[in-house]
Formats: sequence, structure tokens, C-alpha cells
Amino acid sequence: MTGAVTHSRTPTTLLAAVAGVTALWLAALYAIVLVAQPDAILGIVQKVFYVHVAAAFAMLICLSAGSVASLVDLLQPNDRIDAAARALVDTGVLFALAVLTTGPLWARKSWGMWWTWEPRLTLTLLVLLIAVGVLAVRTLAPPGPAGRRVGAALATLAAPTAYLIHVAVQRWGGTHPQVIQGGGIQSPGMRLAFWVTVAAMLGLAAVVTTLRYRVARLEDAVVALRLDLSARDLRRARTAAREPVS
Amino acid sequence: MTLRLTWLLLRKDLVVAVRAPEVLGFMLLFALLCVVLFAFGFLRAGAAAAAQVPGVLWVTLLFSGTVGLLRLFAPEEEGGVLVQAQRTRRGALPLFLSKAALQLAFTGVVAAITLPAVLVFFDAELREPVVVLAALALGLFGQAVLGTLCAALLVHVRLREVMLPLLLYPLLAPVLLAGVQVTVLAQDDAGSDATTGWLVLMAAFDVAVAIVAPWLHEKVSRG
Repeated sequence: MTGAVTHSRTPTTLLAAVAGVTALWLAALYAIVLVAQPDAILGIVQKVFYVHVAAAFAMLICLSAGSVASLVDLLQPNDRIDAAARALVDTGVLFALAVLTTGPLWARKSWGMWWTWEPRLTLTLLVLLIAVGVLAVRTLAPPGPAGRRVGAALATLAAPTAYLIHVAVQRWGGTHPQVIQGGGIQSPGMRLAFWVTVAAMLGLAAVVTTLRYRVARLEDAVVALRLDLSARDLRRARTAAREPVS
Repeated sequence: MTLRLTWLLLRKDLVVAVRAPEVLGFMLLFALLCVVLFAFGFLRAGAAAAAQVPGVLWVTLLFSGTVGLLRLFAPEEEGGVLVQAQRTRRGALPLFLSKAALQLAFTGVVAAITLPAVLVFFDAELREPVVVLAALALGLFGQAVLGTLCAALLVHVRLREVMLPLLLYPLLAPVLLAGVQVTVLAQDDAGSDATTGWLVLMAAFDVAVAIVAPWLHEKVSRG
């Protein structure tokens, strides 16, 4: 308990990680703006691609890992894994919002419309809705192990359902640029900008998740302290009631 | 033993449903209201009404199903025996199975009345009624099982009336997409391959939730 409270001071490793990610981001911005050539057809708007795809990677990793962590917590309850699961889903929602903001900016220029019911867009939107639902349930569930199991169960359920949604929307309709599957990026400058941005984005995801994890651990510590306190008050009240009035 | 316990619980709920049929009645009224609202919302002068049938039918069943789900565990909750019902010697499985069966029965009745009502109101006919009935059976099964799980998980969660549809509808997206597509194909009697593909998807969804949902329910109820 006290361990969770004392480790709340920001350690040097985390500060170093933040500095490293900041440096990576400066490098990524330099590569996107100055190294990568503007796209021959789409022009400068294609540059949102680097941020968009990198954010999609980060979203996918965070939400999948969050679902797996929830399953592990459900099978073998562990406070740290539960906090990690909550942190991962939170961060995943953040990156899902980034994907769904940068996507339409690109789509407007390249497809001529802000939104289309294309499989990956539909899937991302539905996954965001499910993840937000899981977050809301985690907030609204009663504190304690029963409420925690409810959140973990829903986060576990989300992964296989997301796969079925993926299959369904694939059948349902389909014009997403197939950059990675279809031969990859040809220009070396573009390739450099892409991978540096991916590294920067994943680093950012790791830092945000770690910070969120620390907050989650502190929240748990506060709940436990509150419970201790009310238990003590109860004991005192009980002893006071037993003592004869003098 | 599990099946016997399930049947006893289900019979109790069915007796209640026959003696005090409010929940089923509300579901039917709500379904009818949905059909009317969709007619106001989607019918245009000069456009074929029949084209709206698949969407209206499936969304109505999805919406009215939620009304039943919100009251599914109410008898146990209000009687204060929910925890006991989850902690029988056979585990929480009999409770889950009986509630899913009850929800399936309710939505089945609603579908049996909504389908002809939608066809009449929207002046449509089905060239392949058997296919649509199969899709309804598969779709309502998946909805009942997954819906029962969500309803059970949310029993002690605040604002659950709001949270249930918020969680359930995105999770049921494959069922809705498949159901609507099968019904569209059944209206045109075109593409049996496509129909089979969608029905297989619905069946796969049903198998997946039939395995995962009771297990998660057991895990959450008993720790």
C-alpha cells in the first residue's frame, strides 16, 4: 500500500523516457516536413499519412494488449495487471481518436469526402465505441473486486467481437489505400519518415500508458486507504458503543 | 442437474410472464412504435417503401430486445436472491441459460408479430421467407446470449439503462449487418452464395458467444 504511494515521485528513468520520446518526435517532424518528398499525386496532404498510420499502430497495440491484460486479470487476479489493462484501454481510446481525426483530413483530399463506410473506417469507429463503453463501465461499476471483474470481462469480450466485426464489415463493403500490403513505400525518404514516426508514436504510447498506469495505481491506493479509514471508524464507533457512559 | 435447474428457473420466469405479461407487452408496443417512427422517418413519396423493410425490421428487433434485457434480472434483484441464484451448486450457468432462453422466447414472440407487421405496413413481400426465418433464428439467438451477458454484467453498474445499449449495439454490429443483408437478398431472390456467407457468419457469431458468454458470466459472478 505505502509502496504505491511512495513510488509516485517521478523517477529519473521516466523523465529520460519522456526526453527520448520528445527527441524522437522532433526527428519525426523533421523527417515528415523536410526529408520525405511530397506525394506526386496527393501533394502535401499525403504527409498526414505518417501520423495517421502510426497512430493506428499504437491504437491496435494498446487495445489488443489491454484486452489480453484483462483476460489475464480475470483468470489470475492481479492488481498491477488490472491497472495496466485500464491504462492500455485509456491510451488506446486516445489513439483511436487521433486515427479518426487524421483519417478524414486525408480522405477529404484523396477520396473527395470526409467519411465513407469502408471496412477499416467502420471497424475503427465501432472499436472506439466499444472501448469507450468499456471505460464508462469501469468508471460506473461499483468499487471492489466484483466491479473490476465486470470491466475485465467486457474488455476481454471486446477482442473476439472486434474480430467478428472485422469479418462482417469486410463482407459489407470496401476503398482504403493499401499502402503497407501493396508493395510498401518506394521512396527512401518517405520510408525513413514513416518508420521514425512509428517509433515516436509507439514511444509516446508507452510513456502515456506508463503515466496512466501510475495514476491507476494511485487511484487504487486511495480506494484502499478510504476502506481502511472507514473500517477504523467503524471499529471505534463499535468500541465507543460498548463502553459504559460515565 | 444443470438442465433441470435451468428448466425450473425458466418455468418460474415463464409462469411470471404469463401471469403478469408487462415486459413482453412493453416489448411488443415498443416494437410497433419503432415501426411507426421508422415509417415517419424513412418513407418518401414516390420511393418504394419495400426497400426500407430490412433495416426497419432488424433495428426494431434490436431496440425492442433491449427493453426485455433491462428487466431480465429484475425478479431476482427485486426479490433479493440474485447472488444466491448465481451461487447454486451448479454455478451461475443455470441462471444464465434460463435468462437467455427467456429473452430468446420474448424476442421470438416479438419477431413473429413484427415481421408480418413490417411487411404489411411497408407493402413488401419476401421471395425467400425461409432464409429470413433462418436469419432471424440465428440473429435473435446471438442477441439473446450476448444481451443476457451484458445485462448480467451491468446489474450492479450505475446508469445501466444507458450503458446496456451503448455496449450491446456495437458488439451486435455483425448480427445487424448480416441480418439486413440476408433480408435484402431474400427480397430480390438473388445471390444464394452471398446469403449462405452471411448466414455462416451469423452462425459463427452464435457459436462464439455461446462459448464465451456463459464462461465470462461464471467468472464474473463467482470470482
